[in-house]
Amino acid sequence: MREKAAALVANNQRFIPLLATALLAFAAYVVGAFLYPGMRDPQVFFNILTNNSYLLISSVGMTLVILSGGIDLSVSGVIALTTVATAAMLREGANPWLVVLVVLLMGMALGATMGGFIAYLKVQPFIATLAGMWFARGMCFFISDDAIAIDHPFFRILSLTRLLIPGLSDPVAQRGDFITILTVIAFLVLAVVALVAQFTKFGRSLYAIGGDEQSARLMGLPVPSTKVMVYTFNGFCSALAGIVLAAFVASGHGLYASGYELRAIAAVVMGGTSLAGGSGYVLGTLFGVLILGITQTLIQFNGSLSSWWTNIVIGLLTFVFIAVQSVLVARRGRRRRALAQAGAAGAPSAQRRRRMWAASAAVVGVAALAVFLARPQDSGTPAAGTEEAGRCLSKPFRQELADSLVQAGALIAYERNGGPRCLDEIYAIYPDGLIVGDNGIDRIEKSATVEAVTDLLGRIRDHGWFTAEMYNTWHNPCGQCYGYYITVSDQGETKTVRGVDGGTDAPADYWQVVSLIKGIIPEFEAGP
Amino acid sequence: MRPPRSRQLWRRATESKLFFPVVMLGFILLVDSILVPGFFSIQPRGMNLYGSLIDILRNASTIMLLAIGMTLVIATGGVDLSVGAVMAIAASVAALLMNPYVLAKELPPHLMRLINDPHFTFQPLWVVILVTLLVAMACGLWNGWLVAYVRIQPMVATLILMIAGRGIAQLITNGVRIQIFYEPYAFIGQGWAILPFSVYLVAVVYGAIWVITRRTAIGMFIESVGINARASFFSGINEKRIKLLAYVICGLCAGLAGLVASANIKTSDANNIGLTYELDAILAVVIGGTVLGAGGRFSLLASLLGAIVMQAVTTSMYALGVPAFALQAIKGLVVIVVILVYSEQARGLLRGLGTRKEASP
Repeated sequence: MREKAAALVANNQRFIPLLATALLAFAAYVVGAFLYPGMRDPQVFFNILTNNSYLLISSVGMTLVILSGGIDLSVSGVIALTTVATAAMLREGANPWLVVLVVLLMGMALGATMGGFIAYLKVQPFIATLAGMWFARGMCFFISDDAIAIDHPFFRILSLTRLLIPGLSDPVAQRGDFITILTVIAFLVLAVVALVAQFTKFGRSLYAIGGDEQSARLMGLPVPSTKVMVYTFNGFCSALAGIVLAAFVASGHGLYASGYELRAIAAVVMGGTSLAGGSGYVLGTLFGVLILGITQTLIQFNGSLSSWWTNIVIGLLTFVFIAVQSVLVARRGRRRRALAQAGAAGAPSAQRRRRMWAASAAVVGVAALAVFLARPQDSGTPAAGTEEAGRCLSKPFRQELADSLVQAGALIAYERNGGPRCLDEIYAIYPDGLIVGDNGIDRIEKSATVEAVTDLLGRIRDHGWFTAEMYNTWHNPCGQCYGYYITVSDQGETKTVRGVDGGTDAPADYWQVVSLIKGIIPEFEAGP
Repeated sequence: MRPPRSRQLWRRATESKLFFPVVMLGFILLVDSILVPGFFSIQPRGMNLYGSLIDILRNASTIMLLAIGMTLVIATGGVDLSVGAVMAIAASVAALLMNPYVLAKELPPHLMRLINDPHFTFQPLWVVILVTLLVAMACGLWNGWLVAYVRIQPMVATLILMIAGRGIAQLITNGVRIQIFYEPYAFIGQGWAILPFSVYLVAVVYGAIWVITRRTAIGMFIESVGINARASFFSGINEKRIKLLAYVICGLCAGLAGLVASANIKTSDANNIGLTYELDAILAVVIGGTVLGAGGRFSLLASLLGAIVMQAVTTSMYALGVPAFALQAIKGLVVIVVILVYSEQARGLLRGLGTRKEASP
């Protein structure tokens, strides 16, 4: 029995990093669900997929580049350029299909150029793609200094269509848990690339080049053209990720996605792909992205942790994974040498040790994560919500509730959630001046005058609520920030805009509207 | 007799690591002298000198400091991506040591007054600088340990600190951007004694590192480790310790750069101090002819010139009235030019040009 297990491990040891990542992602989610009841809502998981769909796309492209032994720092620049180019072309009234085609071609052209430099001029990938990043980011500002809103039905369909999950939703009422088309696109890319990497000549050449370029050349593999192809493909992925991001935030700006190449690289490394090239799996990248997403969600749910912990935890996790990898590689090398010297005699114990290493590394990773997340609750740093932190009730936006409130006659539905105390408040303002607030536990009511409500609506309209100047924005909310979801219905027009504070991407008028609404609604008493 | 000698000279000039940085700098200054009137004018104000050329030196000083450390690391065949993050950490540590009261929620009035006092510092300046540099060296030690002893690829090993570093810097100051009012500290970045103080700092660091690398065997050891670490090991060089030393020096330089940068803007801004400076520093070293990824022969002076070239491009673009946002795209194009210049084909072409000139008369 034991030998069988040992043989199983020995035969599948290349899957160990992949397995460790999958286990860690799963463990992190279980820990989160255990600590925060709000995270048990399946929609939270689906939101992680949706929110990270563009990271997944660019990480998948990056996996191929790293498998070939290279690196691509240009992804964030190309993503930003794509969002700006898309938004600018749509503003000029171009056909959306044409826009998508053009920006995809642009991404591929940029990728191919960098690939050409790397493959034929023997430039270091680091330098060539660095130049590409600077070039792409600079070009963004040639197109536009400011954020450009996207208000096109095609992109609205892309980002807002809900694909209900069978079994977790009610298809008749169109209610329940859902994913978006963007998530589906990301998973399609993942599936195609995973198949290409494993089952095509191109994929095998990639692994060979990453493993040892010299031998690959001597074997007669087309090294330069494969390299150009892989960077071209990553350019395609970056452009696609840019389109997804543009649809998701309904705008384009040259400062979007800054530093995302680091996240993508971290996701790839956590997914078990060696940065030396030649070993790893595309599927692992999915788990790497999931770990990043779950970490971020955990920190948001905790509420008392500041956003910079995200970076520290990601750095820590990257370190743990790299350490595990290098230990595995070292062991494998030692075992090979031992085999060459003394036959297979020493093998079983080496296997057992390797297995123990992988297991203990996974344990260390999970323990480190748990310790990091449990710490502030024990030490009770600033009083903000120390009590609620353990049972944070924060949930994804209750969009259906907001929609139904407006359908039931409310003029304004205002939802705010997150923040240091994990609030989730939704208010409805009715034409007769009635204001009803609901924070999931309590209800609160207030009567304002009809004039006050009419005045409020007028001023919201004056702030350009129903124009293209008011657009959705989104960035990773920090632990202290609030997410807002505001629906306004006035004179037959209804429009919903969401935003997150703590950033500079949302239109200034949006925050003026938020403060206008805040001025009229009653407040819940803070804490018990 | 003469043609072969001049050909030899030409060859030696083109093969020198200083050749391309000098040519590029000359080209940039030539363009400036034609297009920007008064670019070379230097005005004395009191004892001090001001002007575009001085500006270039002053603004390049942080990158020059980084480039000195980065040259050694790249010469050992590595790279350090974390220098920008280490700068942010150093700035946070220094600011906190000078004024920890800023983080307190409530303060008695007699302490409250100290927060804006330009003469108050919690720790004496030498303690602030020493502790900051020690912290920066500890960061370098961590990188060096990962690279030399854990045997992680340099790019990955330093990536860890690059990602986590800014988080750590924010953790140190609890996410607050601490304003620095202490005047003597600000002198590090803004001071002027005929030339800007930071220029002297660069000169001292360059001199010290030059002595360490060129007047002892350490420089040769570094080059030998970069060319072939295994062979160096077998010839009795402790390659691990050499690598560790290179990363520690790089951390030290990053710490100094962090001091200069934070003193210059009088703030510890963990989010923005040193942002993308690692890329600038690497580029400066590459312009200086040290080969990224392969290591080996290096020239500190060429790296310094590389940093000046980059700053000269930036300053000239501003002088020419190029908008700030376009600068990044132009920087990208400069990198492409550098790439082309350094590719083997271009070098071969240039050398061919030299020999043909000799052959024709």
